[in-house]
Amino acid sequence: MQELNFKVQRYLPGKEKKPYMQEFTVPFRQGMTVLDGLIYIKENIDNTLSFRSSCRMGICGSCGMLINNFPMLACHTPVEELETDRVEVRSLPNFPIIRDLVASLDPLFDKHRSVKPYVISLDMKEAEEPAAEFLQARDELESYVQFAYCVKCGLCMAACPTVATDALFLGPQPLGQAYRYCTDRRDTGAKERFREADSPHGVWLCHLAGACSEACPKGVDPALAIQLLKRAMVFNSLRLRKKRAPASVAQPIAESKPKIDVPEFTVK
Amino acid sequence: MKETQLKILQYVSGIGLFFFVGAHLLVSHLSSGEPTTWESVSGRAASSGWLAFYILLLIFGIYHGLHGLRTIILEFSIPNTAVKVLNWAFVIVGMAIFGYAAYIPINAF
Repeated sequence: MQELNFKVQRYLPGKEKKPYMQEFTVPFRQGMTVLDGLIYIKENIDNTLSFRSSCRMGICGSCGMLINNFPMLACHTPVEELETDRVEVRSLPNFPIIRDLVASLDPLFDKHRSVKPYVISLDMKEAEEPAAEFLQARDELESYVQFAYCVKCGLCMAACPTVATDALFLGPQPLGQAYRYCTDRRDTGAKERFREADSPHGVWLCHLAGACSEACPKGVDPALAIQLLKRAMVFNSLRLRKKRAPASVAQPIAESKPKIDVPEFTVK
Repeated sequence: MKETQLKILQYVSGIGLFFFVGAHLLVSHLSSGEPTTWESVSGRAASSGWLAFYILLLIFGIYHGLHGLRTIILEFSIPNTAVKVLNWAFVIVGMAIFGYAAYIPINAF
């Protein structure tokens, strides 16, 4: 493989009627990613090409795109893994296009905000002026930690067939985060999130296609979170949900003596 | 009613339909191997137990079908304000179907 054929979506809303594809030839380099190819095009062929990227190491979630018809992070996708010299890049589906490959993630953030993705504490004094950390057991952390790895890249929302048909559907990312905070023992806001997820376009519209979990670049399983959220909501509705004590605040560390005596200064 | 409660009823009616339709098929069509006779139908129609059976089958069937249809319609991005209208439309249609369909076994009883 000496050269790659990049077919890139171009679109400038307001000036152009609909998106179209433009082809570029990019020299192949061992280990290059799709993002490397796009940067090569921007620097050497067409500097008007617009795309979003930042960390280049799969952490920030900025460069989500539809690569060869699958939503992926461009920086996290080596060209060799595509097993073809033709790379087709489009903006993320299910999101409005700002320009070329830049999708507007506003719908994702609006829905994400609606499920209150933060720890809601009944003890407002402790929440605003914390005296110490909340105690948390290892199994309590493990119950939600994989869902906390979400980087809000929007790939799960782009892959979801229900979001494609119903733009009002909350979607896998917000619902996954709703479960993540509901299961956190420091949180007491589960009922507020259940109310949001219990809407006609909420959790029950999920058909469990599982495309969200397949698309996630961070190994999060939003489909599992949605199923667990459904179970928690059914139990809550039937008043069978176990009540649990909120996480307690750690006691201040007691005055302690060092295990090894610190030698006196010899130089005065 | 909240969506979760509606969904729980959907599951309950689904399980109910599995047994009620199964029993209906077994008794009416599969047990004797003979074509359905007037005597067997009128015999069941005169029984209060069978009347309750068919009314329950009707309730489960109507609820399960209409709720499923509502879920499909909701996926057409129906705004929340219009969902209330849709809900009442389904309640009225459901009651009308139930009234018409329940009249037959009740009248035959």
